[in-house]
Amino acid sequence: MNRRGFLECAALLVGGVTASQASFSLTDEQKVYLATASDYVASEVDFFTSDQRELITHFSEIIIPETQTPGAKQAGTSRFIELMVADWLNDQEREIFMSGLESIPSIAFNSYSKRVGDLSEIEMLGILETLEEDASDDPWYAFANTTGAFGEDHKSPFICQLKELTIWGFFTSEVGAKQVLRYSPMPMSFKGDIPLKEDDSAWAGRNS
Amino acid sequence: MFNRTTEYDAIVVGSGISGGWAAKELTEKGLKVLVLERGEELQHGIDYLGEHAPDWKLPFNGKPNRKEEAEEYSIQSQNYAFSEANKQFFNNDKKNPYIRNDEKPFNWIRADVVGGRSLLWGRQTYRWSEQDFTANSVDGTEIPWPVSYGDIAPWYSYVEKFVGISGQAEGLKQLPDSEFLPPMEMQALEKTIKKRLAEKAPDVTMTIGRVAVLTENHNGRGACHYCGPCHRGCSTGSYFSSHSSTLPAARATGNLTLRANSVVEKLIYDEATGKVSEVHVIDAKTGERHQFSAKIFFLCASTIASAQILLNSKSEQFPDGLANSSGTLGKYLMDHMLSMGGVGVFLDDMDSYYYGNRPNGIYIPRFRNVELKDADADFIRGYGYQGTAGRGDWTTDFNRRGFGAGLKEKLRKPSTHWFYLGGFLECLPKASNRVTVDPQNLDRFGIPQVSVEFDWSENEYKMMADMKAQANRILKAAGAVYIVSDDVKGLDGSADGPIGGMGIHEMGTARMGDDPTTSVLNKHNQAHDVANLFITDGSFMTSSSCVNPSLTYMAFTARACDYAVKQLAAGKI
Repeated sequence: MNRRGFLECAALLVGGVTASQASFSLTDEQKVYLATASDYVASEVDFFTSDQRELITHFSEIIIPETQTPGAKQAGTSRFIELMVADWLNDQEREIFMSGLESIPSIAFNSYSKRVGDLSEIEMLGILETLEEDASDDPWYAFANTTGAFGEDHKSPFICQLKELTIWGFFTSEVGAKQVLRYSPMPMSFKGDIPLKEDDSAWAGRNS
Repeated sequence: MFNRTTEYDAIVVGSGISGGWAAKELTEKGLKVLVLERGEELQHGIDYLGEHAPDWKLPFNGKPNRKEEAEEYSIQSQNYAFSEANKQFFNNDKKNPYIRNDEKPFNWIRADVVGGRSLLWGRQTYRWSEQDFTANSVDGTEIPWPVSYGDIAPWYSYVEKFVGISGQAEGLKQLPDSEFLPPMEMQALEKTIKKRLAEKAPDVTMTIGRVAVLTENHNGRGACHYCGPCHRGCSTGSYFSSHSSTLPAARATGNLTLRANSVVEKLIYDEATGKVSEVHVIDAKTGERHQFSAKIFFLCASTIASAQILLNSKSEQFPDGLANSSGTLGKYLMDHMLSMGGVGVFLDDMDSYYYGNRPNGIYIPRFRNVELKDADADFIRGYGYQGTAGRGDWTTDFNRRGFGAGLKEKLRKPSTHWFYLGGFLECLPKASNRVTVDPQNLDRFGIPQVSVEFDWSENEYKMMADMKAQANRILKAAGAVYIVSDDVKGLDGSADGPIGGMGIHEMGTARMGDDPTTSVLNKHNQAHDVANLFITDGSFMTSSSCVNPSLTYMAFTARACDYAVKQLAAGKI
C-alpha cells in the first residue's frame, strides 16, 4: 500500500475527519514512505562467514527459542545481528563482537574437544552460560541499566552484545511484535485499567 | 540583485506555534499576510514519513543512527523526540550551526520545516497564574510584568477553544483551569497513587496532564487514535500544530501567502517614518535575495532566532540592533531546568494493564511557595512535576540473566510497575544569559551566526535539591517499595548537570515591560522603539513560571494581533 492508500485507511478507521483533511494532495504518490518501506532485515549484508552466520543463528535461537510461538530464527534475528554488527556498531564495539565470535571455536575445542559444527545444542548453551558467568559482574547486568551494551562510557563484552542484539532484533521484528507480543497500531481509545491475565503479553512498539 | 515583491499588510516571520497563530488572526481580520519560514515545505499528512511506521520498517529497527546523529544532528539528537522516524523535521546542526559556548553551553533544539516546533512539541498546555505574573515584582527580581492574569485570561479562553485541550478542572489558584475537553484516563496505579497522596501528602495535587490532544472530534479535527508517537506528525490533526489547525484556518481566508525556504537576513528600519519598511530574505534553495514590504511585522521566529534577526538589523538609529535602545535585546534568556525527581517501584495493581498509547502523563502542579514563601524553602519560586506510571517489559528488562524459553517468557510479559516524576523548575532571568551575534562567524547564507551563553543560578540548584527531596517524600507517600533517584549535579559548572535548552522552553531576549529603558516590548508585544514591530514568540517573556509556555505564547499572540489591527485601523501605526 502506498502512503496515500494508507492514509485513506487510517482516515476511515479514525472517522470524523473532515473533507478538507481527507483531500490530501495527490502529487506525491511516488514517494517511498517508511510505513510502506521494506523491512530493515531485508537489507543486503555479507559480513559474517557462512560458519559464523550459522553459529549466530544457533545462538540467537538458543537465547529466544521457538516454543508455542516462533523464535529468533523464524523472526530473521540473525540477519538483524549481522546487519547491526556490519553497519551500526562502532569500530571498538565491532572488534569486541568479532573477537568474541572468533573465540568460540577454541572454547568449543577446549571445553568439548569438538568443532563448532559438531556441538550439540546443550553444549552451545553451556558455552553461552559460561560466557555469561564470566561477565556476571559487568555493569550491563545492573538493575535499571537503560543504556545497554552500546553506551558511550562502557564497552560491554560479547555475550551482552549478543543477547541485547538478539532480544532487540526479535521483539522489534514483525514476527516478535505480532506473534509473541501484542500489536495494536491503531488502538482508537485509551483505557487505563484493563485486566492483565496470567498469560498476557506486553504491547509491542516503543512509541518513540 | 534584489527581487522586489508586492506589498503585504503584514509579514509574519516563522510558522511555528506563534507564527501560525499570527497568520490565522491577522488573515481572519482581513489583512493580506505573508508568512516567511526558513525551513522546507512540509505538507500536512503527506510528509509525515514516519507516521505509523512499525519498528521493523525503520533503519536499525528503530535504534538511533549514531554516526549520522554525531555528524549531522549533534545537538538535535540529544532531544527525546528525535528519531529515525522524524529526523527530517529537525535542523541539521552541521548545515546550520550556531556558536555554542562550552563554558556556558546551551542546546538549541530547533525544527527546520514549515510548522516549526509545533510539529514536535510536548503538547502539555497550562495557564500561567496571577502569582506567575506578579513574581518579579513580589520578590524584586529584574523588572515587573506589564500584564496581569486578568488581562490575559480572556485570551487564554479564546485560544483554548480553538486548540482543544483535554484536562481535568481542579480549581487551583496556582494553576487556573482551561476550557477543557474531556480528560484522558489515569492508569490504575496512577489512580491508586492519587488516592494515597490525598491522604498522606494532602498539600500535593495530582491531576491528569493537560494536553493539546483531542479526546473528541473538535473544529473539524479527528479525536486521537492513541497510536503513540505524536512527534512523527499526525495526519488526523489530533494534536494541535500549525499544520493541523492555524495554517489551514489562515489559508481558508484567501489572505495567506506562505513562503518556505525563506531565511530572514534582517529588517530594514526607515528613519523617515520611524518604522520597519521591509524584510530582506535569502532563498535557502536558490540563494536568491528578495525584499518584501508591509505595514506591520510580526517576529515569531523563536526566542533565539528573533533576537538574532534584530541584532543583525543594525542601522544608524539602532547600531546595536533594531528596537534595542534599552540595550536589553538578547539578554535575560531563560529555559526551564528539567531534572529527574525519582522513579518509584510499586507492587500495586499488578493485575491491571492499559490499552492504547496515551500521549500524555500526569501532572503535579507547584505546591512550594504558593501564595507565601514556605518557611523551610531556601529558594524563591517553584516547580511542577510531569510523570507517568509504566510497566517494565523487554525494553527495560533486556539485561536479564539466562537463556531460552524461561527468558523469552519473562521478556514477553509486562513486569515491574513503576511511577516516574520529572521536575520542571522555574528559572530566574539574568542579564548574563544572553544571545549575541558574531560578524566573524557567518553561516552559509553570509549571515552572522548567533552565539548563546547560558548557566543556571543558585536559586535553580537549591530548587533542584528541594525538588528531589520532595519527590522522595511523594514517592514514599504514594507507596513505592523501592525508589531510584540521583544526586544534585552540575552546581559550579560541573558537566553532569542539566544543560540549558534541554527544556526546549527558551524564553526572554526581548522582554516586555512598562519602562522603555529596561525592556524591548510594551505590554502589547509592540516594540517600544518601533511602532509597527511586534514580537510574540518566547522572546517577550519577562519571567519563566514553571509551566510549559506554548499556551501563553498563543494567547499573547492573539491579543497582540487584535491590538495591532485596531491600531492600524485607527491610523496609529
